[in-house]
Amino acid sequence: MAGKIVSIHSFRGGTGKSNTTANLASQVAMTGKRVGVVDTDIQSPGIHVLFGLDEHKMGKTLNDYLHGKASIREVGYSVGDNKVEGEGRSQLAGKNLFLFPSSIKGKEISQILHEGVDFNKLNEGLQTAITEFNLDYLFIDTHPGLNEETLLSIATSDILIIILRPDNQDLQGTAVTVDVARSLDVPNLFLMVNKALPKYDFAEIKKDIEEQFQAIVTSVLPLSFDMAENASRDLFSLRYPDHEWSKALKNIVPHILNAK
Amino acid sequence: MTGDILNKIRETEFFKELSDDASAAVAAKASIRKFAVGDALMRKGDPADSFFVILDGHLKIVTTDAKGDEIIINKVGPGESIGELALVDERPRSAGVVALDAVEALELTKEAFFDLLNHRLDVSLGILRGFSNRLRFSTTYIEKVIDWSQKTAEGDYSFMEQTQPINNRTGNDDDKAAQLLSAFYSMVRKVKAREETLKQELERLTFEIDQERRKKEFDEITGSEFYAKLKEQAKSLRQKRADQ
Ligand SMILES: Nc1ncnc2c1ncn2[C@@H]1O[C@H](COP(=O)(O)OP(=O)(O)OP(=O)(O)O)[C@@H](O)[C@H]1O
Ligand SMILES: [Mg+2]
Repeated sequence: MAGKIVSIHSFRGGTGKSNTTANLASQVAMTGKRVGVVDTDIQSPGIHVLFGLDEHKMGKTLNDYLHGKASIREVGYSVGDNKVEGEGRSQLAGKNLFLFPSSIKGKEISQILHEGVDFNKLNEGLQTAITEFNLDYLFIDTHPGLNEETLLSIATSDILIIILRPDNQDLQGTAVTVDVARSLDVPNLFLMVNKALPKYDFAEIKKDIEEQFQAIVTSVLPLSFDMAENASRDLFSLRYPDHEWSKALKNIVPHILNAK
Repeated sequence: MTGDILNKIRETEFFKELSDDASAAVAAKASIRKFAVGDALMRKGDPADSFFVILDGHLKIVTTDAKGDEIIINKVGPGESIGELALVDERPRSAGVVALDAVEALELTKEAFFDLLNHRLDVSLGILRGFSNRLRFSTTYIEKVIDWSQKTAEGDYSFMEQTQPINNRTGNDDDKAAQLLSAFYSMVRKVKAREETLKQELERLTFEIDQERRKKEFDEITGSEFYAKLKEQAKSLRQKRADQ
């Protein structure tokens, strides 16, 4: 059984994709699965920060791969084998979690934006990552909106998690994304609500959105001061496993593990 | 000692289980005491050398707070007894007792009481029976409260529908257990009500999707050549991965 591609997407920016992707990938890795995380947000990469990988430590990147300057094997950074700071992150020691970062160098970003992404090459890279690293799950952190890279990651995914805030603008964009995902025959489509104000009735939000889209809402995560304070400095759900945000996030794990 | 007093003795929780004969033995050893408003039957810290069964009138049980001001712990009236536990556990009086109106009480001194216990098996047994009844009574209530507490903690309020609130306020000592149950019941009722208003107070968000715009944007995205190619590719890629 080949590994599955799990794309995390949102129509608008700042919904919490990178934090969700990193925490979810870590939670799945904690169950003993072999997990990869690709940052396809080449315009504004960010997920490496959550795993404690800084500019100085960053070796080869997805950009190098796309330009034919490195193999996917060289791009993969083993989170479990590298010592990192952070009470949450350090729990990943010895786990099989590989990060495929995007370059954060301005020059390289503008270069790739200018030249455009070779989709066949990116696709091949994703498939190679799965086979070479023998991955059970490959998580893709995407750029918000529905640009071509994002459409590609939606198209190739076995599981798509669309994150939205309880906000009419997010909902409108999500509606389009859901339609597109269905048109692309994504086999497993889930919605996740993040940054919900605690004054709202979460059960009602879940029910309303499920009715609107006829899709499963895996969980409703609260807007949390603690999350904001963490400011992507650590893997929140590993560091604060009993926090409401973490508990709601962990609800998604079985949906991923049980997806066909 | 009149029959009236015998009856009053048996009306008390303490002597409730005593036979006529045993009650008469108690009455014979006891003396009637009268107190005027404001008289103290006992003071906090006094040695416990007798106990009282109230025949008539009311009293307050008082202690003092840190500043020396009086705090009323409880009020007692006819049929209730005061100070019997102190006789048995031999500790000084834990509170003072002051008459609120004209009080008539039966006093049984420690010696008289112990003498009764020593020589009258029927009196001893009657008192013991009274104690064990109270204990059993309390245990039943405590078990109920434990059960309800567990259910409440789980958010299961179903017992509220199957239970009638107890409104037993005779003020007897062993009714304390029943009072606990009653207080507990009303607490749960209030907690439940608060929880319900809280649920209602949670704001409900209303969502609206502009279906026309949704359709237009979808058509724009899926109408491109790129999209058509992507759809084809995606299909074959998924097929390829599934075959692996
Ligand atoms: N539930 C939450 N409560 C409070 N802050 C949150 C919550 N979820 C995420 N955040 C914060 O919101 C910010 C954006 O999060 P994140 O980078 O994960 O979003 P993103 O969708 O990847 O953003 P972008 O679209 O820019 O890539 C971060 O500062 C993060 O700490
Ligand atoms: Mg991001």
